Amino acid sequence: SWRACSSLRLGHSLFSNGLLRGLHTTQAAHKAQAGRYRVTRNRSKPLTYEMANQPCQIAHRKSWNSWNTTSLYEGLREPETVVDDIFIRKFMTGTWHNLFVSEVIIKRQHNMIRIAGIVQRKIAARKMYFLIGYCEELLSYWLKCPVKLELQTVPDKKDVVYKYI
Amino acid sequence: MLKLGGVTPRLYSQVLRLAASCNIHTTLSTFSELKAEENEEFRTLELRSKKFVRQPARVMKSHNVVPPRYKRQKVDQDWGNVWPAARTFHPASVPLPVRQGYPASGQVTPDKWGNAELMKIPNFLHLTPPVIKRQCEALKKFCTPWPSGIETAAEQEKYFPVMVSKSTYLHSSPTLRDQKARIVTLRVSLKSLDLDDHGRDKLLRLVKNRHDPTTDCLTIVADRCPLSQQNYDYCFYLLTVLYNESMKTEPWEHEKEVADRERYIWEGSPSQAALQAIIDSNEDSTPEEVIEEYKKVVIDLHNEGEDEPTLSRYRDSVMKLVGLA
Repeated sequence: SWRACSSLRLGHSLFSNGLLRGLHTTQAAHKAQAGRYRVTRNRSKPLTYEMANQPCQIAHRKSWNSWNTTSLYEGLREPETVVDDIFIRKFMTGTWHNLFVSEVIIKRQHNMIRIAGIVQRKIAARKMYFLIGYCEELLSYWLKCPVKLELQTVPDKKDVVYKYI
Repeated sequence: MLKLGGVTPRLYSQVLRLAASCNIHTTLSTFSELKAEENEEFRTLELRSKKFVRQPARVMKSHNVVPPRYKRQKVDQDWGNVWPAARTFHPASVPLPVRQGYPASGQVTPDKWGNAELMKIPNFLHLTPPVIKRQCEALKKFCTPWPSGIETAAEQEKYFPVMVSKSTYLHSSPTLRDQKARIVTLRVSLKSLDLDDHGRDKLLRLVKNRHDPTTDCLTIVADRCPLSQQNYDYCFYLLTVLYNESMKTEPWEHEKEVADRERYIWEGSPSQAALQAIIDSNEDSTPEEVIEEYKKVVIDLHNEGEDEPTLSRYRDSVMKLVGLA
């Protein structure tokens, strides 16, 4: 529900140099806009399932991208894990140039990190094998635990489109 | 001047070369055309900017893709070999037509191809019933039967009265350490410690609230050392020391006064003296059971506190003693 936001515009005292300054006298109305995409006129924007479902749908129609035990009662190392996750996501999307069509999914099991995601088939399979080995090797050195990549490939990015808005 | 007309450039160049080799001086009016066509020395100067010529679109090479794996799988294959360990869902390897997701309006549930939701959730494809059975069979050879003679809880309590417990913790992180894993708890029932009255009283005074009166169990928790092995040793050291100290009688223990006693003792109490006075003043001999009952009731009153049943019993006993009941 919209709240009428009334602003008070004081006249001459605040009017100087041709600029008008006003005050808000009611609460500023901030609508939730996180993770939501604007509808286009001609329904041309493609959305994946992840993008189409808003953050309020997590645990209802969407699942989490990061699985670990840090947020359980007396779980250890929560902030370090979050920072590691941010690093892994940046690293993966940067190394696989424009190739990831889904979010990077990070699962931690015992001391292993399993990274999953959907990748386009824009490069040859040999290059993909190299990138997989490269990512696994370097990430395991940086994060100090075994890293496994479990990727799924898709011929075109149109294959992961859920709907157009 | 050699003038030639209507001859091809090739013939021209041949003539020129011939002329050059023969040192004949020749000039031709079409020399510039020849040069422009053959691009020998100078590039053409373009003063007007060229119109934008659209390049043909870059064709991405389509790479040969191996057909999905499920097409080569037999119906009676051993699934445990296809999916030996926990792995993210891979649609080409799993021959099942699973679907996941909320359908968009007018659409069906999204299928398994390019479905990130199926990849996010944990799957148990590595733990199908035949695989579990196989793993249990493999583990059987490491199992020994339960030792005979300690089937019931009473026997276990008799032969293994001390119970030591500690926890280990598992986290999904690179580090293995958890500080809580050093805590060791030792539980023993005081019945199995063979203490006399004095020893039991002394032990209870030493351990204070570590003894649970309802279960008659002593619980010692040790967490002061960094390793659980050290805490375990410390627990047993404490138990040994407590037992030995409670068996000993120190010379100053005889200074225990009536107020220090943990429970009411009838012998030598003012109630006993008062009862004796009443019995002596009574002409008829009071029956033994009345005396015993009074004694028991007074002890209960002191030890268990004053509540409705004890007070009513005391009243009945006094009536009987006095002879009014």
